[in-house]
Amino acid sequence: MASVFSPPGFDFSNQLRNNFMAQKGLPLPKATSTGTTIVGCLFDGGIVLGADTRATEGPIVADKNCEKIHYITESIRCCGAGTAADTEFTTALISSNMELHGLTTGRKPRVVTAMTMLKQMLFRYQGQVGAALVLGGVDSTGPHLFTIAPHGSTDKLPYVTMGSGSLAAMAVFESGWKANMSREAALQLVKDAIAAGIFNDLGSGSNIDACIITASHTEMLRNVEMPNQRVEKERQYGFRRGTTAWKTENVRSLIVNEEITLLGGGDEMDTT
Amino acid sequence: MSIMDQNGGSVIAMVGKDCVAIASDLRLGNQALGVSSNFQKIFPVTDRIYLGLPGLATDVTTLKERFRFRVNMYTIKEEREIEPETFAHLVSSTLYEHRFGPYFCEPVMAGLSKTPSGGYKPFIAATDLIGCLNFAKDFVVAGTASEKLFGVAEGLWEPDLEPEDLFETISQTLMNAVDRDAYSGWGCVVHVLTKDKVITRTLKGRMD
Amino acid sequence: METSFAITGKGYVIVAADTTSARSIIKMKSDEDKIKTLSPHLLMAYSGEPGDTVQFAEYVERNIRLYHIRNLYALRPSASAAWIRRALATSLRSRKPYSVNLLVGGYDTSEHTPHLYWIDYLGTMSEVPFGAHGYGAYFALSLLDRYHDPEAPLEEGLATLRRCIDEVSKRLVVTPGKYKVKIVDKDGVREVEL
Repeated sequence: MASVFSPPGFDFSNQLRNNFMAQKGLPLPKATSTGTTIVGCLFDGGIVLGADTRATEGPIVADKNCEKIHYITESIRCCGAGTAADTEFTTALISSNMELHGLTTGRKPRVVTAMTMLKQMLFRYQGQVGAALVLGGVDSTGPHLFTIAPHGSTDKLPYVTMGSGSLAAMAVFESGWKANMSREAALQLVKDAIAAGIFNDLGSGSNIDACIITASHTEMLRNVEMPNQRVEKERQYGFRRGTTAWKTENVRSLIVNEEITLLGGGDEMDTT
Repeated sequence: MSIMDQNGGSVIAMVGKDCVAIASDLRLGNQALGVSSNFQKIFPVTDRIYLGLPGLATDVTTLKERFRFRVNMYTIKEEREIEPETFAHLVSSTLYEHRFGPYFCEPVMAGLSKTPSGGYKPFIAATDLIGCLNFAKDFVVAGTASEKLFGVAEGLWEPDLEPEDLFETISQTLMNAVDRDAYSGWGCVVHVLTKDKVITRTLKGRMD
Repeated sequence: METSFAITGKGYVIVAADTTSARSIIKMKSDEDKIKTLSPHLLMAYSGEPGDTVQFAEYVERNIRLYHIRNLYALRPSASAAWIRRALATSLRSRKPYSVNLLVGGYDTSEHTPHLYWIDYLGTMSEVPFGAHGYGAYFALSLLDRYHDPEAPLEEGLATLRRCIDEVSKRLVVTPGKYKVKIVDKDGVREVEL
């Protein structure tokens, strides 16, 4: 096991043990998944992606301000819903492969390329890698917007939503979306869709992230709206020093003392 | 009752002003039976990184060994100490490698990372059992008392605490949370990391 | 039911294990030695799935002995315990894992300190001042919380152990009859009669 070389891919060495323990009546813990609202919307000359920033572990809010819009290439981004670790690692892997692809071909990689790589990977894992994605970007063939389901199926649509808040967000899109919207109108619509998810879906919450991609420029708007800012506490809840009784103390000093001792009087170097 | 609750135990890490703190309980149990009241779950990785591993005790030990090996390999290859951010990704990818047969641990990290100006910046992070990183700016928690820890920490934590005040806040947060958890407790240990020293204290806690 | 205890004291570890060998409800044997001497200063009490126990204990015994022969010095208690734990953790990831619980007690001849390790079949390991396995643990651990003294001389340690055994005999429904008791200290390993 303690080999320096580790082969690529997943390591299944714990599987036998985990199944054995599951048989003993101890249920396996559920993989932490994220309730989410992620959306994408096409407008005149570009794409707007949007996401909320809540990460959950069952009923607990694990992270109040996480990032769900992942970098694929400079002009392609991907929103992730589902098992948090899966979205994180899948997009990171495809991002690497897209960079390499761009370098080998010498061209700016296209959105369909990223979409194909993602769907092929997700299909290979038969839905076991639980990533539901909204992929958007602009390339030489124009703006493109896709959804990719965990089993590897894809859709190409002018406006899309995914995650547990997808119904709330889609309701906003269905009532407000028009063809050839302006950049401002599209951003506002995306913000409204995410807000609908944040306020109506329990799995989504906190702030709104958005990303506007056009042919020339990508603008990442981290926390464009923060509708759930915590008010400042009215009182301080710090404890008086010495409140906690402790038994032993050990202080490890990290200061490294260095002393230079000159040997042999320190003559100048002979440079003749 | 899941495998994660078999041995009990909880860890919390908090950010202060130019310092971080990480604390855990000391219980090792076998379901409801307490076996040890001195089971360390927090391990020093480098001088300025501490790693907490709550979860199934056998995996705590296995992962501790595994991370020691991987950090040593990194130190030898790179000829420098690992930085907290890098270490967090090492932890994350090690756990994700076991995505379909996970280790039953939820690591919590606390450290001080070097800034280009030569100073130190507080760093904390936690991951779930398959390696999804959570970089929080205030506090991170894990273990059987995590739900209680979330609540208490949310109420007690405040920004820019000095090392001594951070010690009080993290200690009170942990002790009050584990007192409401049957599977955590039996004494606590707190490490406060500052730029020039690490203060480790064992707390006087309830033994029931 | 199978029960084993171990306690540390001033310069010694006492390890005790019952001597019954049972198959379902039948007592097959009442003089089984379930404490192996792994090296001159190391003892291991084992319990668990019949068959696995002896098989695993012998595997450990031979490997610790091999280390001693190869290096001309014995593995220290902490290193031995870590190796044994690793063997169990690896076994747990195989098709048919060993189901063995252990108490490893030893005297470190370089540090002159006694060490006791509580290890279960999952590979959980903890250094403890006293430990127990089996149903007896539910009685013995609470009793030892009250009476154990890490600085106690050997006679006191044996008296504490006797208390544990008496308590288990008194309160546990299926009581093991006899116990084998072994001590490890600076002079090595020896067996005592209670």
